[in-house]
Amino acid sequence: MIKRWMILLMTAVLLTVSGCGSRSPETGTDAVSEHADGQKTFVFGDTTFNAENGEPDINPHNENGGWACIRYGVGETLFRFNDAMEIKPWLAESYENVDERTWVIRLRDGVTFTSGRKMDAAAVKECLDALVSTHVRAAGDLHIEEITAEGQTLTIRTEIPVPALLHYLADPYGCICDVQAGVSEEGIVQGTGPYRAVSLTTDTGMELEKNENYWNGKPKIDHITIRTISDGDTLTMALQSGEIDAAYGLPYVSYPLFETGDYTFTGCATSRVFFGAMNYESEITSDPAVRKAIAMGIDKEGFVETLLGGNGYPAVGVYPDTFSFGGDRVTAETYDPEGAAQVLEEAGWTDTDGDGVREKDGRPLVLRWLTYPSRQEQPLLAEFAQATLGAIGFQVEINNTADHNRIRADRSAWDIYVSAMVTAPTGDPEYFFTYHCLDDSPQNDGRYHNDHLEQLADEMSRTFDEGRREQLAVEMQQTILNDNAYVFCSHLQMNMVAKATVTGLTAHPCDYYEITVDLDINET
Amino acid sequence: MGKYILKRVLMLLPILFGITFLSFAMMRLAGSDVVMQQMDTTGMAFSQEVLDARRAELGLDQPFLVQYISWLGDFLTGHLGVSYVSGEDVFASFISKLPATLLLTVVSIVLTVLISVPLGILAAVRKNRWSDRLIRVCSFAGNSLPNFFVALLFMYLFSIRFPIFPVIAGGTDLKSVALPALTLSVAMSSRYVRQVRAAVLDELNKEYVQAARARGIRFSVTLWKSVFRSCLMTILTLLALSIGSLLGGTAIVESVFMWDGVGKMAVDAINMRDYPVIQAYVVWMAIIYVLVNLLTDIIYRLLDPRIRLGGKEA
Repeated sequence: MIKRWMILLMTAVLLTVSGCGSRSPETGTDAVSEHADGQKTFVFGDTTFNAENGEPDINPHNENGGWACIRYGVGETLFRFNDAMEIKPWLAESYENVDERTWVIRLRDGVTFTSGRKMDAAAVKECLDALVSTHVRAAGDLHIEEITAEGQTLTIRTEIPVPALLHYLADPYGCICDVQAGVSEEGIVQGTGPYRAVSLTTDTGMELEKNENYWNGKPKIDHITIRTISDGDTLTMALQSGEIDAAYGLPYVSYPLFETGDYTFTGCATSRVFFGAMNYESEITSDPAVRKAIAMGIDKEGFVETLLGGNGYPAVGVYPDTFSFGGDRVTAETYDPEGAAQVLEEAGWTDTDGDGVREKDGRPLVLRWLTYPSRQEQPLLAEFAQATLGAIGFQVEINNTADHNRIRADRSAWDIYVSAMVTAPTGDPEYFFTYHCLDDSPQNDGRYHNDHLEQLADEMSRTFDEGRREQLAVEMQQTILNDNAYVFCSHLQMNMVAKATVTGLTAHPCDYYEITVDLDINET
Repeated sequence: MGKYILKRVLMLLPILFGITFLSFAMMRLAGSDVVMQQMDTTGMAFSQEVLDARRAELGLDQPFLVQYISWLGDFLTGHLGVSYVSGEDVFASFISKLPATLLLTVVSIVLTVLISVPLGILAAVRKNRWSDRLIRVCSFAGNSLPNFFVALLFMYLFSIRFPIFPVIAGGTDLKSVALPALTLSVAMSSRYVRQVRAAVLDELNKEYVQAARARGIRFSVTLWKSVFRSCLMTILTLLALSIGSLLGGTAIVESVFMWDGVGKMAVDAINMRDYPVIQAYVVWMAIIYVLVNLLTDIIYRLLDPRIRLGGKEA
């Protein structure tokens, strides 16, 4: 009797579990990229479309909502970046820099918002006026004094000379949307892109339909679903199971699973760089020999190849080589442990007691390495540097903490602060130096100062000529590298992985353009 | 009974006050704030003016006690505030995630009962035989496996190898809840099987079972009418504890399956120092535990009238 009862119960358990599956046969693999009713659908899994990243919606005037707006093909900016990160007109047709504070921008004709309204200068003026009245960072960047609109001609007058104005207008916050159509409760705006948002749920995802009246070609996908999948393993399995067609933000360790003919990779170096800033008020890193030894003692190639599995780019300076002023346009110390040991030796740092740690005037060569764990690469870099620097006589003490922002304000608590920052979000070189390296930079926690750099920065703030700005960018990078004030270790590699049937999904160095009019999916 | 319930509900007030104050203080001790967390997440540097303006907008430039009193005042007037991160009303966000959490709780508990009670009884009845040993080994293995691993294992098996269930939850439907619920019930069942087994064995060793057998009463009748009933108290206690923790959300399982419940919301809020959401979660947890314990006490009383509410036995 009991046996029969048990068997019945266990059968019930199994039926309960498996019964759920048998009820809805349509869900399973490849349920999403099928051409239902002849329509093409595409599902994109992304780890970054969430409120944590400042993207609760796609309203470009709300925090970083512009990133989602531009990435998913809803919004477009007046100017955009080409593959060499040079600025080019987009919704604008041409521009003229009349004087240091006046820019006349001729807008493209024949562009309409997804609301149906024509994009003219009046609509753009409304959008930019709304932007600077609500978005603190945009207002601080653009310094707009007055905008006038006439037909397709927009004239912007700034309060001060803003040489990088066109770059700032290419920032995702500069997505041009129809302000009169407003922002829906979900945070949806009407842009000019190849797709229009029809529904959005914060931290969950968004549904897009193609914009039939798109000005720059015919979108090929009828319906796109953006799914926020914050867990890397889940994203991996969703791509494996066919529930999504492409993924952004897969963990590096998952890449081998997709290195088959069934998937394609697209990737490039971004301007996000893992770098260390030296503390000039520390008795250790204020010593030029110590800074030089650190720069020579970190094996950047080894870090990228061994610990990141090749998923990164060893850095030389501030910017990757996709920038015309980046990559090997500058020179930095290369990995040379013997040379680093020699530098320390000559500066009086010697291991007198044979414990493997050098000393000078009785002070051991202890390097307090401050970093934070929210980026998977940073703890790895800390441990890697601990090993390589340890081999030349440093004792590296790692403080890997989420509370790093409070600690770095206390300059007695660290020697080197390692973070991951985007160095050129608008493609312009001025940003990094303004925020990190100058006397009045908000992030110059190590109190680095160089008179020559200050002069160059001053010149850059007044220089409109793109060629001269590039020269200045190179010279400024070289200045901080010569001082070994910063060590740039690696640039983040941005990758997207898609089913082989997906075409037109291409990684861009600025990380802004993902879903474009070129996106297509061709079922075999 | 009414007086007792009122007393327990009133006890909630000092608990809420103490726990919300503690959590508010602990989040400050953890360092950083939502403004700096967003800067880290995006990798964008902001000027001091932008940081100060954002802090002032959120009230983070005020002293700790002023912030807490302000929050408490809003709470007492029925406002849980607005999320620092999403800008959404906290109460509305919370309510929107509750159906998912409740569904996951109910299905997990049902599955746990369906798995652990029969297997626990079977293991006790078949003590030291192969079926008992097999169940104990499975229970040991289930206890040893962390939830995220079981989740990934099930995903691989039931979504990739045998595509029955979706990897990503498509909403609060049975198909989407199956794998997260199964994952949770594996861990809970592994614990409960052993406890049910121990409770049943304890009862089976009592004299009344031998006496019933001597009197020729069928074993199944003794098992279900006497032994099982006596074990219900143990099972109920276990379930009450589990329901409490499940209603508080299961952050790891929710994150892995993209299950939009309160657990994931709470962990995200802690990571981002989103104080209004954290406080709402703390209030929710306090209410859950007080109410679940109260309900358990009442059910004890119904199951065994000898028990007096308030801890005294008749």
